[in-house]
Amino acid sequence: METVIKESGNQIIAQFIGRLDTAAAVPVAEEVKPLLEASNREIILDCSQLEYISSSGLRIFLSIRKEAAAHGSKVIVRDINADIRQVFMMTGFISLFEIQ
Amino acid sequence: MEALDFHCQLILEEYREALPTLEKMKAQVLEQLREALDRNGIIVTAVEARIKTEESLAGKLALKGAKYATLSDITDILGARIITFYTDDVDRIASMAEKLYEIDWENSVDKRKLHQLDSFGYSSLHYICRVPGYDLRFELQLRTTLQHAWAAINHDTGYKSGVEIPREYLRRINRLAGLLEMADDEFSRIRTEITDYRRRVQALVQNGKLDDVLLDGDTFRSYMQARPLDALNKRIAAINQAEIQDAPLIRYLRVLKALQCNTLGDVSRLIKTYEEDAYLLARHQLGNTDLDIISSAVGLQNICIVCILSSGGGKIGLERLFDALNGHNSQNTALAEITYEQAKNLPFMKNQQ
Repeated sequence: METVIKESGNQIIAQFIGRLDTAAAVPVAEEVKPLLEASNREIILDCSQLEYISSSGLRIFLSIRKEAAAHGSKVIVRDINADIRQVFMMTGFISLFEIQ
Repeated sequence: MEALDFHCQLILEEYREALPTLEKMKAQVLEQLREALDRNGIIVTAVEARIKTEESLAGKLALKGAKYATLSDITDILGARIITFYTDDVDRIASMAEKLYEIDWENSVDKRKLHQLDSFGYSSLHYICRVPGYDLRFELQLRTTLQHAWAAINHDTGYKSGVEIPREYLRRINRLAGLLEMADDEFSRIRTEITDYRRRVQALVQNGKLDDVLLDGDTFRSYMQARPLDALNKRIAAINQAEIQDAPLIRYLRVLKALQCNTLGDVSRLIKTYEEDAYLLARHQLGNTDLDIISSAVGLQNICIVCILSSGGGKIGLERLFDALNGHNSQNTALAEITYEQAKNLPFMKNQQ
């Protein structure tokens, strides 16, 4: 699992590559820390190369969303595959995020 | 500007020495006002404070320096201003300030009450306040956003050029003050009426008279405060011992209206009719996973899915649901198909085969 953080204008883009399972969640939680401190930014969670997400991964997304709301930032989940979209639907997370 | 006399020079000297104290007082006043507004739940447009500049003070002394024996006689060296949304809030904040500070009533003025029956113009409440522990007083101005806009524009047009404004223009500016006064009153009245409406709706919800309440954004929020989906969400969470994260449900308002829910009574019946099947759908979906986190939207989401499928809405109906919830997206077609496949063997689908 690899996480790449890039900045572009007002956007911070976090690209998740691989499987965000329980084991991967600990290092990923560390890697996304810059996102938690971003104020008034658009945070893009680029999932185009994310193959799988577990509950631990959903919790990381949730913590990003909570911190973003507290800092006036907006979170967009982008390009999730059909399996992950299904996870978002089954858990009701589809109502928590803007998904593009 | 004329050179100031010795008396005024002394006051200016006093001012320079008092500047550090004034800065401290300014910070304290701003903090006290903001904290008190928060405590009283009053949302305002702005809280600001400024210390009169030496240049401005010198100008004032040049005009009427003899009036003041010492710096402490000048009450607006430190000025604070709170700009409110509503006229009612000016009075609420005035009462709040009376508790925070000792008010010098002799020098305080409610300019809102000074107008003659046939005159309009600058309106705001000015309190001269004493902060415990300080000799100097400060002026607190309270006005609405519209009063502030009028005063700022009037100041800009009236004083900037240094040329006297013809009567005709002054009259037009004052006519606007009357118009804004009416708008301020109307905004306050609207707020009061909306608050009353919300109270009436809450009373109807509490008394179970849901059929009397039309479904709209306000009534939906009031109804959801009673947490009618908690039991279903907890049952769904129990499938995988999941934690429940609160999610906003307002996106479902459009969906519920599309499902012919016109009153809260209709929403209540929709929940009762489909909650068991919504639970079965969740059990079927989540039972084979280790997903132990859900959002509080999952219960209502599944109720909508079951309602659509039970009434023959099929995959297209589901796709429209996902479009409504999360914007139109090509992946919603695939999601609708997956959801349909998951649900097709559940009991509520038996009439749809």
